[in-house]
Amino acid sequence: MASANPSDRSEAAFTYIGKSRHREDGPAKLVGAGGYVADLDPAGSWYAHLVLSPHPHARIRGVDTRAAAAVAGVKAVYLGDALPEADLLAESEVFYAGEPVAVVVADDPAVAEDAAELVEVDYDVLPAVVDAEAAMRPDAPLVRQLEDTAGRADAGAHGDAAGGSAKTEERPNNVSAVVKYRRGDAEAARAEADVSVTRRYHLPPLYQGFLETHGSSAHAERTGETTIWTTTQGQFMVRNAVKRLLKLPDYRVRVVGATVGGGFGGKGVLLEPLVATLSQRLGRPVAMLLDRQQDILVNNPGPAADIEVTLSARSDGTLVAIEARLVFDNGAERGGSAGIACLMLAGTYRCPNLDVLGYDVMTHKVPIGAYRAPGAPQGYFALESAMDELAGTLHMDPLQLRLKNAVQEGDDRPDGRTWPRIGLLECLRAAAAHPFFEEPLGPNEGIGVAAGGWGGGLEPAAAACQVTSEGRLVVQVGSIDITGTNTTFALIAAEELGLSPDEVHVQFADTAHAPYAGMAGGSKTTYTVGLAVAEAAKAVRKQVLEIAAERLEAAVEDLDMADGAVHVKGVPGRSVTLAEIARDTARFGGRTAPLIAEGRSAVTKSAPGFAVHAARVAVDPDTGEVRVTGYLAVQDVGRALNPKEVEGQILGGVAQGIGRALYEDLAYDSTGQPVSTSFLDYQMPTFHDVPRVDIVLVEVPAEQGPYGAKGVGEPPAIPGAAAVANAVAAATGRRVATLPITPERVLAAQ
Amino acid sequence: MTLAAFAYQRPRSLAEAVEAMAEAPDARWLSGGMSLLPMMKLELAAPPALLDLSGVEDLRGIRDEGDFLHIGAMTRHVELARDPAVRRDAHLASLAAERIGDPQVRNRGTVGGSLAHADPAADLPAALLALDAEVEAVSARGRRALSVQDLLLGPMMTALEPDELIVAIRIPKHTGHRQAYTKVPHPASGYAVVGVAVAIHEEGGRVRQAAIAVTGVALKAFRAARAEAVLAGQAVDQEVLAEAAGLVCDGQDVLGDVYASAAYRRQLAQVVTRRTLEGLR
Repeated sequence: MASANPSDRSEAAFTYIGKSRHREDGPAKLVGAGGYVADLDPAGSWYAHLVLSPHPHARIRGVDTRAAAAVAGVKAVYLGDALPEADLLAESEVFYAGEPVAVVVADDPAVAEDAAELVEVDYDVLPAVVDAEAAMRPDAPLVRQLEDTAGRADAGAHGDAAGGSAKTEERPNNVSAVVKYRRGDAEAARAEADVSVTRRYHLPPLYQGFLETHGSSAHAERTGETTIWTTTQGQFMVRNAVKRLLKLPDYRVRVVGATVGGGFGGKGVLLEPLVATLSQRLGRPVAMLLDRQQDILVNNPGPAADIEVTLSARSDGTLVAIEARLVFDNGAERGGSAGIACLMLAGTYRCPNLDVLGYDVMTHKVPIGAYRAPGAPQGYFALESAMDELAGTLHMDPLQLRLKNAVQEGDDRPDGRTWPRIGLLECLRAAAAHPFFEEPLGPNEGIGVAAGGWGGGLEPAAAACQVTSEGRLVVQVGSIDITGTNTTFALIAAEELGLSPDEVHVQFADTAHAPYAGMAGGSKTTYTVGLAVAEAAKAVRKQVLEIAAERLEAAVEDLDMADGAVHVKGVPGRSVTLAEIARDTARFGGRTAPLIAEGRSAVTKSAPGFAVHAARVAVDPDTGEVRVTGYLAVQDVGRALNPKEVEGQILGGVAQGIGRALYEDLAYDSTGQPVSTSFLDYQMPTFHDVPRVDIVLVEVPAEQGPYGAKGVGEPPAIPGAAAVANAVAAATGRRVATLPITPERVLAAQ
Repeated sequence: MTLAAFAYQRPRSLAEAVEAMAEAPDARWLSGGMSLLPMMKLELAAPPALLDLSGVEDLRGIRDEGDFLHIGAMTRHVELARDPAVRRDAHLASLAAERIGDPQVRNRGTVGGSLAHADPAADLPAALLALDAEVEAVSARGRRALSVQDLLLGPMMTALEPDELIVAIRIPKHTGHRQAYTKVPHPASGYAVVGVAVAIHEEGGRVRQAAIAVTGVALKAFRAARAEAVLAGQAVDQEVLAEAAGLVCDGQDVLGDVYASAAYRRQLAQVVTRRTLEGLR
């Protein structure tokens, strides 16, 4: 039964939605069947390798490429000024250690790598601006001219970014954006408050740590078509960047999104314009795969942040003022994480007085990009650590303090809008009722809780459905499946057509063939593309029913679809199968038009998703080592279309939260040199570091998502750091405000 | 991350290996390759030639030589960890070998390779130092023995001549001594932030001989002489252990890095030493 608003349907009415299904791409991944960029090797391909700057800031005096060009097998060596459209190589000045300054192309990848070492760059080393706070001082040198920067990956594409009432004020030095949320008189409210807590928090930059490094391959054919195979979360985003930079009409650029070995926001546009340009110049396919070290140096990591928060409350726990100053270190490009961080920091709890100020600052470091919920984990680490400290000061249960102040539908957001239907309160209540908190604690153990939320992204999307001659359904999409979305689409189409998901095949198509879909980011793929799939499936259903009505001599209203057949309601035996109908759509002399339809969506309301996490940790009092011994993750998912996959998303988010809390640090030394450029130094959480996770799915349906679903990808990566930090505080009485919470910091904390 | 080009030879005997090295003096010995190959990938080393020792039978095997165990230099860590004679007579070496890297590294890495590489945070040097082991080295000029103490000069530095090859390690038997190795691994690399190897010989309720060796803490693995002296001759109690542990880094220039400062490392070494000693009681 297709209804106008799918979210109206009660759970009992679903046949396939809400029933867990294994990921369709699972078996191929398990056996290493490939499909990654590194597995594709276009015939006759040449290989490119980057030459990177060792200096965070320097003028390029000259480059001697003769030795490199003389190596047997080397086909070309290009400097940045020869390839402006590639948008990756420095031209006359480098702004971060690791910035590409030249590219070597050879007929063998090892030759290209060896030759790249022979490129001699003469640098005039300049003073580097390393610290964001220092960069803002009036006497700080300019990192670079702001107008020369565009920002690499648009972090704003991920979320329901600030915009709106965020006011741009007079900017300090090297600041690319200022975000300000003011309400009431925070200073006066603090003066009158019963209690206040103030603390400054620091989070380092993080590497997304995907298994698969960046890689792209391009073939500019003489016909004028350029095809790019690449690991990206958004093939249309890549196409748009390449056509703009190479000044081509968009239909001349075909981007084929390969299987992605992890993205987490970090796989947007990076190498594609360069390989496309090289292929154009050289008339050959050109491939480039970054090794791990180069990937860490050139990739767009998540930004570092310094956040000072003051919370003021009455003795009964009512928040009266939130004051905060946030400084995001975006590296050598503009970048927009402060907006989301400020919005969520100021908007999660009801509070009459706000004074929240955020800065996006440039420094001589690698330009940042998006990392799963850009800006939110930073903002929530500060906010939720502060809430925990406030609860301690008030001798209040931390969940009760949050329940007392949490926003709900209709409450004002700091940006002038109001909160739509959200599930923060429901998550807090579900957490409070969970037996996780009743299990006895061992010595030196403690439990910490934290909330987090994500605005949810929006983007128009389309999808197509067609019935094959065998009566199966093929769903065609252009969205990249990084999280199991194709499996969910199969469930959606199956539900609409009364067809087993086994009979539904979701086919990914490239930008030349697929209906438009935005980047798989911002927790919006199921929310937007899923709706388009539902629309397409409904339209196909209508076509099927019209034909069946004729065949069965019944009115469309009297028909129903189930188990791959159309039935006349109440008349057992009067039915025709989808296969019988479809057979006539694809045969010589057939009289039935093909069953094919497109579905479109342009969702106008985002569906913010909230999560509440609780971590239990054991701390070694002598060494400061922290072990996570238990974990509870509660999340409002609107509706879990494929619960197993939703839980998978939550598990991954929890692991990344633990990594952020305890281990990961893309560290720089005081001169601006990155010092953790391999997995010998950069520590990711492993299987051993993640305990069993109790997961509770809360379903507060979204107004517009398919069957009420909300985006689920980003929220579980948000509260972890604060939950673990709060647990450490509970276990030790010491609060670590600088991430990661290393054993040494635990011992040093007050 | 692609290795630079190099020549490769696989000698079939010790004599052949020594001869090949004499002819290619810039060559490097390749044993398990667990440290050298990553260094070559990271371009920290680019030897023009590798002499692969995997074909040299003389370098294999563990033998009982009366008061000593003879460990062939090409003995894999996994073999050292599992060998019944080693577990009985030099248990500490097995315990340290068990904690090296991961199963892949233990299956490939060798005892001689680890010692010759002399990583200041490697596990085996501490254990072999505590066991008073010595190495036997061979070159075209002949054969010599030197203690592990004398072998280790500093980070990635040994007393070996460039053409010299460790052929065996000789460990005095420590049958019946209480032995333990405790390691706090660096969470990313797995190398020891602190590793403490202890061998205690007690008679009549008193410590007759105490050996404590520490890795990961200074530029090379070292014996904690003052801590050992505190224990010697004592009937060990909580107080004595604490006093000894407190002196474990005495006289050492303790390393600090991004993960652990010198002060933290010193504290960690003391805690780990105390717990290791307590665990032996």
